[in-house]
Amino acid sequence: MITVSFWNILWTVVNLLVLFIAFRIFFFKPIAAIIAKRQEEANEAFKAAQAKEDEAEAKSLQCDERIAQVEQEKKQILSEARKSADEQYQHIVAEARANASEIKTAAATEANREKEQIIASAKKEIANIIVDATTKVVGGQTGAEVDSNLFDEFIGKAGE
Amino acid sequence: MGSSLAERLIEELNCETVFTIHLGSLEIPVMESVVVTWIVMAVLILLAIFLTRDLKTQNISKRQAFAELVYEKLTGIVGGMLGEEGKIYTGYLTTVLLYIGLSNIIGLFGFKSPTKDLNVTAALALMSIVLVEFAGIYQNGVKKWLHKFTEPVAIVTPFNILDVFTRPLSLCMRLFGNVLGAFVIMELLKIVCPPVIPAVFSLYFDLFDGLLQAYVFVFLTSLYIKEAVE
Repeated sequence: MITVSFWNILWTVVNLLVLFIAFRIFFFKPIAAIIAKRQEEANEAFKAAQAKEDEAEAKSLQCDERIAQVEQEKKQILSEARKSADEQYQHIVAEARANASEIKTAAATEANREKEQIIASAKKEIANIIVDATTKVVGGQTGAEVDSNLFDEFIGKAGE
Repeated sequence: MGSSLAERLIEELNCETVFTIHLGSLEIPVMESVVVTWIVMAVLILLAIFLTRDLKTQNISKRQAFAELVYEKLTGIVGGMLGEEGKIYTGYLTTVLLYIGLSNIIGLFGFKSPTKDLNVTAALALMSIVLVEFAGIYQNGVKKWLHKFTEPVAIVTPFNILDVFTRPLSLCMRLFGNVLGAFVIMELLKIVCPPVIPAVFSLYFDLFDGLLQAYVFVFLTSLYIKEAVE
């Protein structure tokens, strides 16, 4: 009980050291390791989730940007199309106008020409008539009779 | 009856040599307390191996949850007492806590508590003071460690040196005295008024006091370490 034994003390010291080492190997280290590992896993999972969130956010931003870009493009294309349609319209109208005026001018020229032709042929006819009439008168009677015949003939020809 | 009681007590208290190892001319006696210590060690180590078998990080078993709870609570308590700088000694002191705790209550299972042997508590105290002084030297260096003996004033140096011996002595005697006292009282109670009353007192003396003394031992040692590493 209270007899001090060197061997007993030595045994106890050795026992304690052995127990301590065994506990380090079988208890403290594995549990500390597994807790640390779990912490690491949790950290990693958290990091991965964070990365995914960031990525999603970036993608969403990208999409927004893309949408804006597309919208811009659409506007541009529309305005371009409008512009080109306008131009086309103007062009067609101008062409039509030009055509119309050309046709008009041609028609007017033709009409003039015909008119002149008609006038020319009428003149010729009139001259012929006059020549005929004159010939007849000169060839037929003389005096008042002649004049009156000539007049009647003229009137009759003109009435025809 | 008086003499037979005394005889029984002495018989119970005596730590007998179980066997002797002959190593050449050397004769190494193995005492009862050492054999019971081996039993305590075996129980603790087997329990540790059983609890830490097949550890996982997810979907842990109840066994692992219990192991982690014990680990966290014990290292939390001991580590808290040691403070930040003394954290590396947590493992040893937790082991000591478990060892003394189980040693004190192993009497309930019919064994003689190893802590009832003065040599065991002396060895424990010896290791404690070695650890305390080692921690002081390791943390502060020899010069500062020596200088600490003259603090706070030079005149207390003898008392500080005396502390190196009185501290382990008090640790050793406190543990031994408590276990012995509890044992004697329990034996007397068992003889004087069986059968119900001893069971009630046993809860206090064998279970509560045993674990309390383990805690006190570790608490004081960690206090000394904390003081030494400051």
